[in-house]
Amino acid sequence: MTAVEHAPATSRGWFNSKVFAKLAIRLGAFAAFAGIMIYFALTARGFTTTYNMINVVEQSTILGFLAFAMTVVFIGTGTDVQKGGIDLSIAANAGLCAAVYAVMMREGYGNYVAIPAAIGTGMVIGFFNGLAVVTLKIMPLLGTLAVMNIAAGVELTLTENTVVPVQSDLMTVLAFGRFLGISTLAWCLIIGSVLLVWAIHYSKIGLRLYAVGGHIEAARAAGINTGRYVYGAYIFSGFMAGVASILIVSRLSSSTPGTGLMLLPILAAALLGTVFSRRFIPTIGGTLLAALFIGFLANGFQLLGISSYWVSGVQGALILLVVTVTSFAKKH
Amino acid sequence: MTAAAIEMRSINKIFGPVKALDDADLVVEAGTIHGLVGQNGAGKSTIIKILAGIYRRTSGNVSVFGKPLDQITPASIEAEGVHFIHQDRLLVPTATVAEAIFLRNEPRVGPFINYREMNRRASELLKLYFELDLDPRTLISELSTAQQKIVQITRALAHDAKVMVLDEPTAALVSREVESLFSVLRRLKTDGLAIVFISHYMSEILEICDVVTVLRNGTDVGVVDPSEVGIQKIVEMMTNRDTSEMYPRREVEIGAPVMSVRNLTVDGAFEDVSFDIRSGEILGLTGLLGSGDKEVLNTLFGQIKPDAGEIILHDKQQKFGSPVDAVNAGVAKIPEDRRAHGVATGLSVGENMSLASLGQLSTRGFVDRKKEAEVVDGLIRDLGIKTPDRHTLVKNLSGGNQQKVVVGKWLGCNSEISLLDEPTVAVDVGAKVEIYNLMNRLASEGKGLVFVSSDLEEVTEMCDRVLVIYRGKIIGEYKRGEIDADRLLAAASGAVAETERKRA
Repeated sequence: MTAVEHAPATSRGWFNSKVFAKLAIRLGAFAAFAGIMIYFALTARGFTTTYNMINVVEQSTILGFLAFAMTVVFIGTGTDVQKGGIDLSIAANAGLCAAVYAVMMREGYGNYVAIPAAIGTGMVIGFFNGLAVVTLKIMPLLGTLAVMNIAAGVELTLTENTVVPVQSDLMTVLAFGRFLGISTLAWCLIIGSVLLVWAIHYSKIGLRLYAVGGHIEAARAAGINTGRYVYGAYIFSGFMAGVASILIVSRLSSSTPGTGLMLLPILAAALLGTVFSRRFIPTIGGTLLAALFIGFLANGFQLLGISSYWVSGVQGALILLVVTVTSFAKKH
Repeated sequence: MTAAAIEMRSINKIFGPVKALDDADLVVEAGTIHGLVGQNGAGKSTIIKILAGIYRRTSGNVSVFGKPLDQITPASIEAEGVHFIHQDRLLVPTATVAEAIFLRNEPRVGPFINYREMNRRASELLKLYFELDLDPRTLISELSTAQQKIVQITRALAHDAKVMVLDEPTAALVSREVESLFSVLRRLKTDGLAIVFISHYMSEILEICDVVTVLRNGTDVGVVDPSEVGIQKIVEMMTNRDTSEMYPRREVEIGAPVMSVRNLTVDGAFEDVSFDIRSGEILGLTGLLGSGDKEVLNTLFGQIKPDAGEIILHDKQQKFGSPVDAVNAGVAKIPEDRRAHGVATGLSVGENMSLASLGQLSTRGFVDRKKEAEVVDGLIRDLGIKTPDRHTLVKNLSGGNQQKVVVGKWLGCNSEISLLDEPTVAVDVGAKVEIYNLMNRLASEGKGLVFVSSDLEEVTEMCDRVLVIYRGKIIGEYKRGEIDADRLLAAASGAVAETERKRA
């Protein structure tokens, strides 16, 4: 015999503080985006010109592709970077793929061999991440850090830390081609985003990937082969690194050391993207917005003549801010 | 004769040194609701997890609708139409209701998920079985416990379940929700489903089950019709003891007050609470959820600072800034949420139990291992903790036995006042008796006990005196002999209009 009386257990409604906090953060993120855009438009000369806007979108394509890769890893392993999964090797992997591509082109293999080789390299590195995280059960932060160093090391061995120039027709099309007044790189971002939105947000694989990252026990209990999905997320991340590497080489007409430095903006974009979503989870749309945001930020700083070293600091601060704010909102 | 829906024969399962299942059988026919009962550690969850493909059996045979299954995985067992409604609501918090229901069975148009169709069918199923108007786009994390349970069951229905296994489905539900759950289960039974129903609540077993399998120590000790044999008999089979021994009696001389509470007030929680705790006394404190009984206990333990009033212990007014002060003054507390505040599962049974009393077990900073071993072994014996020895890691014990370790941890430290916050919640019958015995022993050693519980039967049986608290005020005080559960319930729910305080 018990005399327990339960409180009515509904937690919906606008006055719910948790819902309110999330809404405030989301609106705040949009407001910050808009505010910074307006600030640059007023102060930075040439910021609002069409040429500059398209330039930023082009620049953001590579960041966007790599941030999408990170987003997919987040989706499949949970956004909690302290406990969940992460792929620290993405940027180094892209650098390695670019090196593989450039070196093979230099050796005269041609695009039909060099492109699959570059993408294949990326996927192999992704497989190693999966091996470390899923099979060997190493903490993702450490496992992918190790793989990052492997990729960076192989890249240096291949290129001997030099710039490897590349010339091909495809490069010209990617770097200078236009269609309907929009450059090829910008088209890549548009098409890539649409394909990924479809795959992640409208296909059963996407839904199951979210389930695996959202609550791995629940996903397992629902009969999902969770290990395969996490492996898949890392291999996909490697695939995206390979694709991005072709774009990197085409933009610079060469493979250049230093691609690994993109890790910080990639991480910032993927994390910042979660703030733009209703459920506070990583989404393709959110990451796209965040990548553009970071692109405009770097561009605005450049036009204002602020040292590019500051950009790196701002990105680091963004990561801290987003992680703090989202984990705060999830707790309260 | 058609094959049974579930047939598990001679199942054995060994975890390290512990034999969790010992030749257990479970046979469930289609069109029945089959109860599975047993004390904590009897093997209920183990046998279910074997069926679910979460654990692999050491030996034995499993067949579903006559089809023998060798390797079971969570996916393969679902394909056989067997679905599990887990106790700890295994749902993805960031998914919507519709996504959770149709996960792995999504309605599609070509390669796309048909979200409109998915949402429509989710609403339809919720309405059809539960008469529930729930927006299928609501996030799981925004649902109440009962709604999450409903989503889990709906998921099984959406996947054409033929067998449904419900593990403690009513644990977090209020009575109205339990009734609607039962009417759904009866309807599913009529539709020909086989339902396995696991519960600690004997009244529910009696109400809903056609057949009951009783497990004890990893073996099935009987398959009975509950309406024929009655609750009493089933409990006896579970515990292998007579229930009249359930509430052990004791004769203790009640002495002088150890702790006095005067006009204690915490704004918004309770006001003007005054009482004495005497040595050798078990003082009950009971009320409805939110009445303030728990807050009183937390204040006595220094977790809440009182706004007014005083706590007098050792003839001295005490100001507890934190639980540390309370422990130093000789107050111990067994928290309600033992899982959260309770055990370090990676440590051994002995280490866990001596953690709280290391001060008394050490000389000049060194732990006296011999003394520790004596105390711990004594507690293991007294509480009947099922463990090979004190060196076994707590994570290798069953849930019920883990809880006993926490109780032991707090009772091990030699305090004058013990505050017990629902010490028997979610503990099986046998463990309850052992906890009652321990309470009695503490009282007979001259300690004072404050016992908060919403189980009025145990309050009635165990306490020398009971204070009933209603909306933050003590509205009734009953001595042993005048206490009965009906009167307490009437007082706790506010039916006793004015204070009928009877001073001792």
